Amino acid sequence: MSQAQGEIYDLGYQHYDGPRGGRMQAVRSLWVNSFRTTVGLGRGARAKILPVLMSLVVIAPPAVFLVLAAVVGSGKLSHADFYEATSILLLLFAAIIAPELLIPDRRNGVTTLYLVRPLTAFDYVAARWSAFLTVALLVTLFGQVLVLIGNSLAAEQAREFLQENWIDIPRFILAGVIITAFVTTIPMAVAAFTERRAYAAAFVIAVFVITTPMSGLLTTEWCERSVTFAVESGEIVEEAGPEECRRITGDYAKWFVLLDVGRAPTHISDMVFEDDTPDDASILVAELPPAVPIAWYGLLVIGPGALLLWRYWSMKI
Amino acid sequence: MSGPTVSQPLLEAHSLTKHYGQTIALHDVDMHVREGITGLLGPNGAGKSTAMKLFLGLLQPTAGSATVLGEKPYENIAIRMRLGYMPEHDCLPDFMTASEFLSHMAQVSGIPAKHARTRAADMLRHVGLDEERYRHIKEYSTGMKQRVKLAQALVHDPVMVLLDEPTAGLDPGGREEMLQLVRRTGKDFGINIMLSSHLMGDVETTCDRIIVIEGGAIIEEGAVSEFTQETETFYIDVDDRREEVIAALEARGIKTRISGGSVVVRLHRDEQLDDIRDALAEVQARLRRLAPSRGELSDIFRRSTG
Repeated sequence: MSQAQGEIYDLGYQHYDGPRGGRMQAVRSLWVNSFRTTVGLGRGARAKILPVLMSLVVIAPPAVFLVLAAVVGSGKLSHADFYEATSILLLLFAAIIAPELLIPDRRNGVTTLYLVRPLTAFDYVAARWSAFLTVALLVTLFGQVLVLIGNSLAAEQAREFLQENWIDIPRFILAGVIITAFVTTIPMAVAAFTERRAYAAAFVIAVFVITTPMSGLLTTEWCERSVTFAVESGEIVEEAGPEECRRITGDYAKWFVLLDVGRAPTHISDMVFEDDTPDDASILVAELPPAVPIAWYGLLVIGPGALLLWRYWSMKI
Repeated sequence: MSGPTVSQPLLEAHSLTKHYGQTIALHDVDMHVREGITGLLGPNGAGKSTAMKLFLGLLQPTAGSATVLGEKPYENIAIRMRLGYMPEHDCLPDFMTASEFLSHMAQVSGIPAKHARTRAADMLRHVGLDEERYRHIKEYSTGMKQRVKLAQALVHDPVMVLLDEPTAGLDPGGREEMLQLVRRTGKDFGINIMLSSHLMGDVETTCDRIIVIEGGAIIEEGAVSEFTQETETFYIDVDDRREEVIAALEARGIKTRISGGSVVVRLHRDEQLDDIRDALAEVQARLRRLAPSRGELSDIFRRSTG
C-alpha cells in the first residue's frame, strides 16, 4: 500500500498584486461596516436587542392594522399619521444607536487609521451617516408599505384603491427621506462632540423632551368662560358668559410652535401628504408661509450636518 | 503613479516647517529617506510624529514641502493606498476580533472583500497571531495589540510603512520581539520602513539609516555604521585615585563622564591616547583596564543633542 506523502512549505510573505478598488471601495466597505453596526450584525446578542425592538415597535402598528384590515375588511390608516407616530420612536432609536457609529472610533483611536487610508473626512462621515439613514429609511418604508397594503385590503376594490392612491408611494418615500435625514443628522452631530454614548443619547432625548412641552405651553389655546351671578327672587343665579379662548403668546403662537424641534420634519411631511386632518400644531404652522417651516427644517438638518463635517474636517489626529 | 527609482527618495522634505499656533513643531527640515529601514530618533516632543503626519498627508506644512513617492501627500488619496501607518497611541476596536478588524482595514484600503480575508489571515500569521485571530482584541495583551497594529499597517501591502514608537509600552521581551518583527518586515518582506523612537537601542538594532531630530530640527543623519564608527569611546578603570585621574584628564582637555564605575572618555585624535597615558602616570594611578568601546548611538545622541 502506498503511503501519501506531502511537504509543508512556508511561502513567506506574499506581496499583494490583486485588484485595488480605491476610494469607492473604501467608502463602500465603511458603509457596509456601518450598516452592520447599526443593526448589530457581527456583534453580540445585546447589540441586536435595540435595533430589533425598535423595528418591531415601528412596524407593529401597521402590521396589526394590516391583519385587522385583512380580517375585518375596513378601516384606514393615514401615511402622515404613521410618520407622526413613528418619528419620535425613530428619534429615540437614532439617539441611542447613531453615537455607536462615531464615538467608539474616536475613543479607541480607530479614526486615525481610517483617515490615513484612501478616505477623506467627508467620506468617513458620509458613509457612517448614509448607512444609518438607510437602516432608518428601510424600517419606516417597510411600515408604510404595510399601511398601503392594509388600506388596499380595507378598500372595497384593492386595485382601484391603488390606482387612485398611487401618488402616496412617492409621497411616503419623500417624507420618509425627510424624516430619517432629520433623525439621523442631529444625533450624529451631537455624537461628534462627546466621548460618551450615554451623554449623546441623553442630550438628544433631553432636547426633544424639553422643547415639546415648552412649545405646547406657549401655543396651547386656553379657553375660559366668564360667569356672572344675579339675584333673582332672592336666589343667586349663575349665568355662563361666552367662551373666550386665547394663547399666552397670542398671534406669535404660530412661530412658537416651531420650538417643538421634534415636530420639524412632520410639518414638512404634512405638507407632502397635504394632510387634511391636521392637529392644533399643524394648523398653527399652516398660518406661516410654507417657506418658514421648510427653512426651519433645513436649518435643523444642514446646521448640525455642517457641524458634524467641520468636527471631522478639523480633527487633530 | 510611478514607483520610486533608486535615485528617487521615498520620502523627501525641503525646508519643511510646521507650526501649531506659536509652537514650532518642525523648522526648516531637509530630509531624504531611501529604501530600507530608516530610524527617526529623538526625544519626546522632538517633532517625530509631526514629521510622520506630514508625510502621511494628515497635516499641511506651514512652509516648505514634503513629498512621498514623488508626490505631495496632503489629502492625496493615491499616496495613502501605498503607505501604512502604525500610530503610537491605541487604535484598535476592542469589540472586534483581530481577523475581522484586519479584513475590514484591508477593504477600507481598497482591497476587495475576498482578497481582504486572505490578506488578513496572512498578516496575522506573519505577526505570530495565527492561533489567536478569532479572539476579541480586548482579550489581547499589550504585545499582541502592538502586533495587530503592525499587521493593520501592512495588510494592504504598502510600499512604505511608518511606525510611530512601535515598542511603546512593551516589556523588554516584548520589545525585542517587536523589533525582530520590524527587522523581518524590512529585510524579509522588502517593505520600506520609517521607524520613530526615543529609544536609541530600537533604532540601533533595527535600522539601516538614522535621522536624529531634536527641537523640530534635524541634527544628524547617516548610516548606522557611520554613526558607530565615528564614536571613539574608551573606558578607563583604575584601582584608586579615580577623581585625580579625572582632574588630570580634564586638565588635558579630555572631557570625562562616569559610567558603571568606569571613567568614560571620547577621543577625537589618536594623540589623545598619549594624554591618557601621561595623566595616569602623573597621578600614579594603577590602571586596570583601558578598553575601546564599540560605538553606541547613545553617545552620538548625547553629543548631538548636547
